[in-house]
Amino acid sequence: MNADRTFRQPGRWAVLAALAVLAVVMLFPFVIVTLNAFKSPAEYSAGGPLSLPHGFYLDGIVAFWDRVDFGLKLWNSLLISGVVAVAAVVLSLLNAYALGIGRVRGRLWILVLFLVANTLPQEALVYPLYYLSKEVGLYDSKLAVILIFTVIQAAFGTYLLSSVLGQFPRGILEAAEIDGASRRRMLWGIVVPISRPTLSVLLIFFFIWTWNEFFLPMVFLISNDNQTVPVALGVLQGEKMMDATMSSASALLGIIPAVAFFLIFQRTLTRGVTVGAIK
Amino acid sequence: MFAVGRSAAVAALAAAALALSACGGSSDESDSGSGGSAVGKTLTLWHYETGNSAMGTAWAQAMKEFEASHPGVKVKFEEKGFEQIQKTASMVLNSDEAPDIMEYNKGNATAGQLSKQGLLTDLSEQATKRGWDKLLSPSLQTTAKYDERGIMGSGKWFGVPNYGEYVMVYYNKDMFDKAGVEVPTTFDEFTAALDTFAKKGTTPIAMAGAEYPAQQLFYLLALNKADRAWIDSFELYKGKVDFHGPQFTYAAQTFSDWVKKGYIAKNSAGMKAEDMGVAFIGGKFPIMVSGSWWFGRMQEEIKDFKWGSFLWPGQFAPGSSGNIWVVPEKSENKDLAYDFIDITMKKETQNLLGNSGGIPVAADPAAINDEQNKELIENFNKLSTQDGLAFYPDWPAPGYYDVLVAGVQELINGNKKPEEVLDEIAQPYDDNLADIGG
Repeated sequence: MNADRTFRQPGRWAVLAALAVLAVVMLFPFVIVTLNAFKSPAEYSAGGPLSLPHGFYLDGIVAFWDRVDFGLKLWNSLLISGVVAVAAVVLSLLNAYALGIGRVRGRLWILVLFLVANTLPQEALVYPLYYLSKEVGLYDSKLAVILIFTVIQAAFGTYLLSSVLGQFPRGILEAAEIDGASRRRMLWGIVVPISRPTLSVLLIFFFIWTWNEFFLPMVFLISNDNQTVPVALGVLQGEKMMDATMSSASALLGIIPAVAFFLIFQRTLTRGVTVGAIK
Repeated sequence: MFAVGRSAAVAALAAAALALSACGGSSDESDSGSGGSAVGKTLTLWHYETGNSAMGTAWAQAMKEFEASHPGVKVKFEEKGFEQIQKTASMVLNSDEAPDIMEYNKGNATAGQLSKQGLLTDLSEQATKRGWDKLLSPSLQTTAKYDERGIMGSGKWFGVPNYGEYVMVYYNKDMFDKAGVEVPTTFDEFTAALDTFAKKGTTPIAMAGAEYPAQQLFYLLALNKADRAWIDSFELYKGKVDFHGPQFTYAAQTFSDWVKKGYIAKNSAGMKAEDMGVAFIGGKFPIMVSGSWWFGRMQEEIKDFKWGSFLWPGQFAPGSSGNIWVVPEKSENKDLAYDFIDITMKKETQNLLGNSGGIPVAADPAAINDEQNKELIENFNKLSTQDGLAFYPDWPAPGYYDVLVAGVQELINGNKKPEEVLDEIAQPYDDNLADIGG
């Protein structure tokens, strides 16, 4: 909005042009999806994916909504992603408080462990997780997915937050200690308010990441009543057939919530990133 | 975006799961508890056919009939994604969440694998008792039976197919009329028709090199030089297959010639099946060689020209039973599951399947009203009675689909000689044979 007018080099225009091209490239798939979501199958077959729809064909979207009971899937996704986002942020914060500020012994190794855990592919985790969840009776329940993703997201969150809190101004903490603040008080009264922007960014990322997860929810959410939005979208992919228009309609329905969530919290997001950069 | 892989240490998860399940498990446990108490009253059924497809329609009717003939029993149907069933079947069937009956993919790598792991119920006794073995022709039964190695064709019944599928030739009647081409009945007439179109500057065959259509055409060409013994060797490991024998040599050579003569477009190497279908429906090609799974879509979406289908000129064509009903070993209502399969095999259900554009395996041909549907089914029955169902070229070995895609793509691009391509596709086949000790 308030663009910085001090840079007036010609390079600026080159950057702008490059960004514009990039934006078009990024937006192109969305445009295609939107175009095809409002086409009838016959129109799609006659004109191909790039033609403009003749009318506003809503049947694809409505049919998909009814077919998979999309309202329920939305609620499942919202519940799982929401709980995971909050729980993972709290867990990361507690871990990072100990590792980044508390200076636990061997914290470097603990962080390395978390980093290694981050690089494990989900495919490698499937079988162990499957047996564990079956043992504790959580197979085919939302709770299993919530637990798994809370831990997965918190592993990354701990790693990131620990390095952020490692740079936390010690002076403030020492002053609080002299004033007689307990450790708990220091966490909730000082560390949390000051690092709130970073925490919000983590919260938003965790929400969107969890929302978009496909593989593990597909394995663990067996009954249709438990499924999330991306798993429901998979119903449309047939063995040999794909229904391009209905797939587009469903993809549109699937991304709208994540985009809406992003737009709502977009300001927090940019603020959080800059605060992190200065600190 | 953060490109960091976001996964967790198993140890960390185990600890967290133990700690958290203690405080949060109550609601979900009560859910599964209530599901458990309804056992004996509910038939849980999964399939992955679209609701308005032929199978979807017929099976919905079968469920209604089942509920009517079994008072007090409810059918709990869940529509699943193909991929989900494909990737998670062995895990689901090994747990208490297994359905009572489900649709599953026929073949060694799918149903065969599960039967080997002991996850499927042996249906042999039911098949003879209820007469399913009489309703299904021998080549349809191939995909229903698996031996102890999980290889189809012999052994016990582990599945029951409900519908059939085969590869045929779709053609654009308007384009045929305009070019003065008659529907060919022999292979020579077929090549002559291709030549007529090519000479007029039209590429005759819509093709997709990046997916299954190209390898199916390649296989069709090989089949024109083959007999049943060769097919059994190739698909069921009943003998040795020579990749440099007359069948595959002819197929590779002819396919490559067809590209050179312009019967198949050079740029089709990168096309997907969907592109091919859309191009044919858009009236850009006079001929498309592909499976009956397109039929319903053609009926629905081709508005601007007349079209029809005919059998590939030759005794054999790729085709088989469709996917099969399986009863998981952990099914809690096996008897109900058998009853349901029986209803889907009944004349009424089969006729409905046929009238909805599918290929029934046990219908009454006289009960099929639509002319196009009738033609489709009659062609299938003809193929089936002349023992012409030759299965699919990618069945023999796991991952063979991609091998064939790559091989035939090279034929289209022309950057490898036919003999070299044959070497390339022989290797993985022989490796697999060594693995299973065949």
